[in-house]
Order: sequence, then C-alpha cells, then structure tokens
Amino acid sequence: MAEPFEPKIVAFVCNWCTYAGADLAGTSRTKYETNVRIIRFPCTGRIDFMLLIKAFQNGADGIIVSGCHPNDCHYTSGNFHARRRWIVFKSMLDFMGFPTERITFSWVSAAEGKKWAELVNETTDSVRALGPFTEYKNLDFTTFNQMDHEAIAR
Amino acid sequence: MELKLLSTSDIAVFVDGLLKAGKVVVAPVLKQSGKVFFKPVQSFAEVATDYIQTAFSAKEVVFPKVEELFTYQHNEDGSLDIKDQLDRIPETVVWGLRPCDAAGFDYLNQFFLKENPDVYFKARYDKTTLVTVSCSKCDESCFCTSVDSHPGDTKGSDILLTAMDGKCYVEVITDNGLALINSAKELFTSTDTLSKEAFLAKPATHFSMDEIKDKIQYAYASAEWKHASMGCYSCGACAFACPTCTCFDIQDEGTQDHGKRVRCWDACGMSQFTKHASGHNPRNTQTERRRQRLMHKFKYSVENLGVVSCVGCGRCIRVCPSHLNIFENILSVMN
Amino acid sequence: MQDKAAELLKNGTVNLLIGFSEDLGKRPVPCFIETAEEANILVFNQECKNNLSVYLHKKEVKDAVKIGLVSNIATLRSVMQLLSENQLWSLTITYLTVNTAGELVVLSSAEELEAYVQANFPTCRAEDKEMLDKLNAMTRAERWAYWKDQLSECVKCYACRAVCPMCYCTVCTTECNQPQWIKTSAETSGNFEYHTMRAMHLGGRCINCGECGRICPAGIPVHLLTAQMNLEIEQEFGGKTGWSLKSEYAMNSFKPGDKENFIK
Repeated sequence: MAEPFEPKIVAFVCNWCTYAGADLAGTSRTKYETNVRIIRFPCTGRIDFMLLIKAFQNGADGIIVSGCHPNDCHYTSGNFHARRRWIVFKSMLDFMGFPTERITFSWVSAAEGKKWAELVNETTDSVRALGPFTEYKNLDFTTFNQMDHEAIAR
Repeated sequence: MELKLLSTSDIAVFVDGLLKAGKVVVAPVLKQSGKVFFKPVQSFAEVATDYIQTAFSAKEVVFPKVEELFTYQHNEDGSLDIKDQLDRIPETVVWGLRPCDAAGFDYLNQFFLKENPDVYFKARYDKTTLVTVSCSKCDESCFCTSVDSHPGDTKGSDILLTAMDGKCYVEVITDNGLALINSAKELFTSTDTLSKEAFLAKPATHFSMDEIKDKIQYAYASAEWKHASMGCYSCGACAFACPTCTCFDIQDEGTQDHGKRVRCWDACGMSQFTKHASGHNPRNTQTERRRQRLMHKFKYSVENLGVVSCVGCGRCIRVCPSHLNIFENILSVMN
Repeated sequence: MQDKAAELLKNGTVNLLIGFSEDLGKRPVPCFIETAEEANILVFNQECKNNLSVYLHKKEVKDAVKIGLVSNIATLRSVMQLLSENQLWSLTITYLTVNTAGELVVLSSAEELEAYVQANFPTCRAEDKEMLDKLNAMTRAERWAYWKDQLSECVKCYACRAVCPMCYCTVCTTECNQPQWIKTSAETSGNFEYHTMRAMHLGGRCINCGECGRICPAGIPVHLLTAQMNLEIEQEFGGKTGWSLKSEYAMNSFKPGDKENFIK
C-alpha cells in the first residue's frame, strides 16, 4: 500500500522577520501544513544560492526563501542584496530549464504569522501538485555506469 | 589468428545483427558540436565514418568517468546492505576503435590487471569485445609510429578491419573476436593473403622508443620543462581524453544512513592533485606537474609495466586549449 | 608586431612577452618569449582567439613583472575587468593589439587601455545571439532536455574554469570538501550544479570572450550560460563588464528600486 506523496519543502528564512512571523503563527495556534523544515539565517543576505542547490541535491521537492520586506531589513540592506541575487539566480535557473515554480520567494514580516501559514499552505499544495522532483534525480542516468539497457536506450 | 573478408555493404548487417542479439554496441557518433564521441548506438546508421579521431577515448567502457563502486544502506534492524553492479554488466562490443585506441586498452589491461586485479575493471573488460578499424587518414597530431605502433597495428584488438575498395580485411586476433565472427558466419569469406599496407595512413615519425629509452633518463633535469609547460592551463582535458590515463579519485557521497562510493577520473595536471593533508604540495608548479606527466608516460610506465603509456593518438594535443604538443615537448627535453 | 615585440624585449620594457605562434597544425597557440631573437615566431590573425590574460595569474608570469601581452579585444576587456578587481597590481603590462584597420596599436598604461577599450567596445557575437534567441524561444522542458543532453557530456575537466581569466580563486568552490559543495565526479546533476555555480560566480564579471565554450573538449557551449546571465544583468541593473577601471559590480551593489515580479 503506497503512501500518497507528501512533498519535502525546505525554507530558508531570516531570523528577524520571517522566523519571528513563523513563531507568531505557532503561538497563535494557527494550523498549517507540516511539510516544511525551516533553516534560520541571520539575514536573507546570508543565503548563498549553493545552499538552495544543496537542498535539491539532498532530496527537497520544493523551497521557500523568505525575509524582511524591502526597507525593513534588520541589517539595513541585506535583503536588497538578496533580491538582486534572487533575480539573477532565478533567471539563470529558468534559462537552464530548471522548474523554478518549485522555489517560492517571499517577504514575510514578524507580524505576518497569518501570511506565513498561507505561504506554507500554498507552496505545499503547489509542490504536491507538481509531484516529487524526480527530474533532478533522473539526470544521473549515466550510460556506462548503470549498465541499464533502458537507460542506454534513453 | 584467422584472416577473413567482409564486404563493405555487409558491415551494417553485421553490426545490426549484434544489436539484435542483445549486445550493447558502442561506436563513434557525430554530435551537434561537430565532435565525434563513443556512444552506445541503436543501429549502424548512427555510426560516424568520416573523421580522423574521436574527441575522447573509448576507455569509458571499461573505466567510466563516474563509476558507482557500491551503495550502502543502513536498515532499521541495524543491518547494513552493500550492493554493487558487478553482475549487471552487459556484453559490449566497441566498434570503430583506431589501432592506437586498441593499444590503449592493452595498456589499461596491464595497469589494472597485472598485479592485484581491479575487480571493477575486470568485470567490464571481460564482457567487452574490441573491433578496431585501421586508419586510412591521419593528421599532424597523430604520432603512433613513434610509440611502437602503426595505423594497422593489431595490438589490443579482438578484431581488426582494414577497408579496401568494396570490402575489408578482417584479422581475427582472439577467441573473443572469433566468437563474434561466428555469430554471423555467413557474412565472412576466408582468405590467405593479407596486403593492407597500401590502405594505411602514413603519419610522420618523430622519434623511436629506443631513442627515448636511451635519452629519457637525462630529461628530468632539463631546463626545457619550464618552456614546455608555460602554456598549460592546469585543467584535466588531456588526461580525460587520453586512452591510457588511469588516475582516479574515490569519493563517498551520501549520509550516515545511505549513500554510495564513487570512483571518478582525476588528472595529475590539476594543481591540487598532490596536495597533502598537511598543506604541502610536492608538485606545486605546473612545470613539475607537466614533467611528471611526460616522465610517467615515457619512462616510469616503461620501467614499471614494460609498456609505454602513450599510444600516439594525439587527443591531448587536439583537446588542449593551447594545443600543447607532447611529442615536441619530449623531443625538446631530451636534447 | 614582431618588430615592436623585439624592440620591447631588447630595451627591457618587457621581460616576458605572451603572444601567439603557429603549431605544427598551423593553429595559433600561446607562446612565451623572453628574447628579441624569438620575436619572429609571433603571429596575429582572426584565428587568435585564446584569451591570453588568463596567464597573468600564473606564478611564472607574475615573477617576470614586466609583461608584454598580445591581445584581441576580448583580452583587453578581461584585463580591464581584472584591473577594476585589483588583481594585476604587481605587474607592468604593455599591450599589443591590432585595430579594425589592421594597424598595430601599442598601449602602455591603464588609462590608454581604458580609452582604447571604450572606443572599440564589441557587441555580442552574432552566432551567440542566435543560439541564445533559439534557447529562449524554447519551452522550459525543452531547455531542460537541451542542457541535460549537453551537460551529461561534461567530464569535469575544468578546462572552462582554467581558461577563464575571471576564475582566479586560489582555492575554488569545487575544491572545498568541508563541506563538499560540488561533487567531484562527473554525474549530470553535479555537472548542472557546477556550471550553475560558475555562471553565478561570474555574474557581472564575465566579458563574454566565449573561450570556455570554444575550448570545451566535450563541445558543450557553456559560454551561453554566462552570456545569457550577463546580458540580463546588464539589462536589469545597467553597467558594463570590462569597460572601466572602476569596479561597477552589479552583484555587490543594489538599488532600493530594483524591480521583480516573483517575490510574494
């Protein structure tokens, strides 16, 4: 009996806004999907795109990246740098044909517990609909290694 | 050794027959970039015929660029599953090798199997039959005649084809080769005389291995090494394209729970190749690394295994972004 | 050019001249000459595509201090970018190039170099533009299939990194194993990660010489990744790479008014 697919979603969030917002969702006893694992950063400016890639490499089906609204960054300008980086990274991934609909970028403030819950629910629903990220694992069909006739025919 | 004839129009029939019999056939294929690579094919129609040399060698068939040695899995009951692929390797025919490539397989054989046989290499090599095609053309990067080989050499091959007008000589060198021929007996006719010289390319000869054996011992101290290595970018292109380069790295990929151990190609030209855990790097300059590469190929391999680990295919010269020339370098450091 | 090179070497303006000579296959290959007598091996034509500025990072070249550099326009732009990143402070470089009228031009200072580069600034190569347009017109799934097919050929030889003048990190991300960011083995997923990482690290720095794609032994057009990225960065954020002695990094600056349409 196979279990229905539940996506694994990794969230990269900043400590001062989104993490606090998620806390607020919790203390308000808001019910929302449990598929997300949160990784806390001091600031979205600290988030390296390599970390996002690592998440997919290790089996994530979807990613949330979230931080303070522009002009509200605890470190003044970290999220501005992050925004530039995300613009470039997203367009790089789009160009390579990567399904960027699996990555959700967002600004969630410390007061927006409700928004956080909605964001998680929406993202979980959309990634569940997209299905597991098998495209990534299927990259490694290696002709000479697997010695799999179907792989070779492919 | 048996000698047979095969008409050129029957080559496709023979190869397609091998495919139908369930063998994996790896042959040269022309890709969009204009370069030719050894790839598994589904029919003879995919095979490239009009080219001088493939970009990479065919060593991937027996020594893949990424080879999963085993996977491991910790189970809930505490037991550990370790699985490998050794019994899943299919019968493979490599079609369209050049004599230099086949000589490369001969070297790989010596390297991996002579002492302490490498089980992974052996498992693949034992399932592989090598069908070589003599060279009717060459370019200025080819120098097989300088390294104890030539465009019609049978060394390392199971079968060697030499194309003439409308038909080919088929030299059946090993039992493996004979088994392949016998699977399509009706396509082959016997013959007594072999006269292939006229159909072979004539690459320039730059030196002889006897000359090398004499002088190479003095080359280590040559001041020319710096000049020979200045253009080197310290990448791995030459080593990865080479049919005889065997250096590899072993990496574990995974978690405490499950993962795999992988063997992958490595190159002595890369700057971190000899870096020790202490931080010391005995070959810290490109000069030392280039010297190592050439001395290994022309001296150390000869001393350790009795065979030169260069087959004169010229791939290193062609893929190098600055076309560093291995035979020009060897000549300059010996003089 | 041969005469000028000989003159510079003879009068000590230059200790080491990096240029092109012809190999046995009549291909132009990088050459390194230290005496005036060797200058007659120099050649220069449209086929001289190698970006020789990458050798400026080599220890043996740095030791020579006074360098002559035979350059095409891409090489000059690379040097501009390197100067703006303060990577060439220990070297005194004289540049030898040929302008569109076929005349030898000698540039002896950074200011002369900047003026020449700005006056002769090239546009994106036509064949690259064509490929980029073709790729951008594909669906996402088609692009994924294209890059999957291409990047499965990659053997991780790192020739693309080795010939890039902007890849000068003494320890590359790929060589870090605490943690292992990029797999060393040439599995396609790892190849995707490596090429994405390299393109991102070149964002706002690559001058599109195209060498990485041209020399790839597997024939993968990796230069299209950086070309696309840098066209977008230029469009979105302004600024040109390899243009000015002052660094105009798009990726370490920002404008509060930067616009996007995907952040919820």
